[in-house]
Amino acid sequence: MTSRDRNPLPVRQLALVAMFAAVTSVLAWIRIPLPFSPVPITGQTFGLMLAGLLLGPRLGALSQTVYLLMGVIGLPVFAGGQAGLGVLLGPTGGYLWGHIAGAYIAGLVAGPDPAGAAPRPMPATAGGRLPGGLPRGRIGLARTLTGAVLGGIAAVYALGVVQLAIVTGMDWPAAVLAGAVPFLPGDLVKAAVAATVAMRLAPVAAASLRPSTAGY
Amino acid sequence: MSNRDVTLGQYVPGRSPVHRTDPRIKLVLAVVFSATLFVVNGWTGYGALAGYVIACTALARLPWGLVVRSLRPILLLVVLTIVFHGVQTPGAPLAVWGPVEITGEGLTAAVRLAVRLVLLAAGVSLVTLTTSPVAMTDGLERLLSPGRRLGLPAAEIAFMVSLALRFIPTLAEEFDRIVKAQKARGADWESGGVFRRARALVPVLVPLFVRAFRRADGLALALESRCWRGAEGRTQWRSGRVGARDWLVLVGSLVLFGVVGWRCR
Repeated sequence: MTSRDRNPLPVRQLALVAMFAAVTSVLAWIRIPLPFSPVPITGQTFGLMLAGLLLGPRLGALSQTVYLLMGVIGLPVFAGGQAGLGVLLGPTGGYLWGHIAGAYIAGLVAGPDPAGAAPRPMPATAGGRLPGGLPRGRIGLARTLTGAVLGGIAAVYALGVVQLAIVTGMDWPAAVLAGAVPFLPGDLVKAAVAATVAMRLAPVAAASLRPSTAGY
Repeated sequence: MSNRDVTLGQYVPGRSPVHRTDPRIKLVLAVVFSATLFVVNGWTGYGALAGYVIACTALARLPWGLVVRSLRPILLLVVLTIVFHGVQTPGAPLAVWGPVEITGEGLTAAVRLAVRLVLLAAGVSLVTLTTSPVAMTDGLERLLSPGRRLGLPAAEIAFMVSLALRFIPTLAEEFDRIVKAQKARGADWESGGVFRRARALVPVLVPLFVRAFRRADGLALALESRCWRGAEGRTQWRSGRVGARDWLVLVGSLVLFGVVGWRCR
């Protein structure tokens, strides 16, 4: 165990976590206007949902921490090209803190941690389960979708609305009305898309997270 | 989908005393400053904190236009806050407009909150405006390093921030290429119902993430083949010691925040 203590993050996992932080930043620049809502679809929630669903709770949350720190050091990676510690501490900062909690919860709900404890026995694909990844089939999709909704919507909104109410001094109904209701339709659509994408990518993720055969 | 207005960082290079203060000190002060803002309730307190922000901005020789522009994103929220408070707070009505009643008390509360939001944004953005991303990453690593005992891989996190930075342009380019490729195949994001538009995102997201996984594999292989053995214990070019002047700034500012927070509650 000493080698694990010294190096808590195998190099593969480290590279994946960094990559998902970068993907989240790139997705934050997407905007799709919605006809029935004044709030457009923005992409960075895809990043947090897929990080949790594909990398599992621990690595998913870590990748979102890296994403937030990129914003803190001044890169315009938050929605609309914003950046800085001010955004995190400001009225809309709760949604960003929600990235960490949301990815963790999404990963926790969706299935067993694909980056779980060290070497697993041979993959037991016979049980209808990818090695350590998302469960397959209809039940798998339902669980994945639940993970996306609880992590990507419930957790993010909870933190977002609380910080909005505290910072701006709005009362709770007003904060929910301004900070959750307009985003809900778009985010539900996004959760469905994220779950679909996660199911398709599960084999790729499982192959990538498997410990390197090089024996480091 | 525009990424034209993305500049690399908000940092404004300079050699002012504010720029040269240790990033750790600035980060800690930013957090304490925003906490103080929430304790303070009254014009004397806001005035003192506004004076502090203005003095720092002047000392850092930041262009005022830039500081004002950095406030733009919160403008909508400021307006929203004013509207909510101006309308909802009970008191002597100043103006009645149908069912909407604007009260003097409401207006005062609204302006006070707006001042608080503006001060928060202006004060905290000083840190990002005066610290280079590299110095900030080092500062964050050192600030987080005590968390290592609790299982927080501080050195790895700092290393991953710089890795991710490096990969943003690559991924942005790949994203652009995927979008064009799918457009050439007839993908359509502009018409159809919401569900059709959302479904049209799947053929963009799947290849993007597949590319991300492949890139990460390549990166891991490159690191392993260069005998990379973890970020912990990496040596650094800058020694980054907190000097006497830094301590003076920290203690001086903390005393100011403490007094303001305690006297102007």
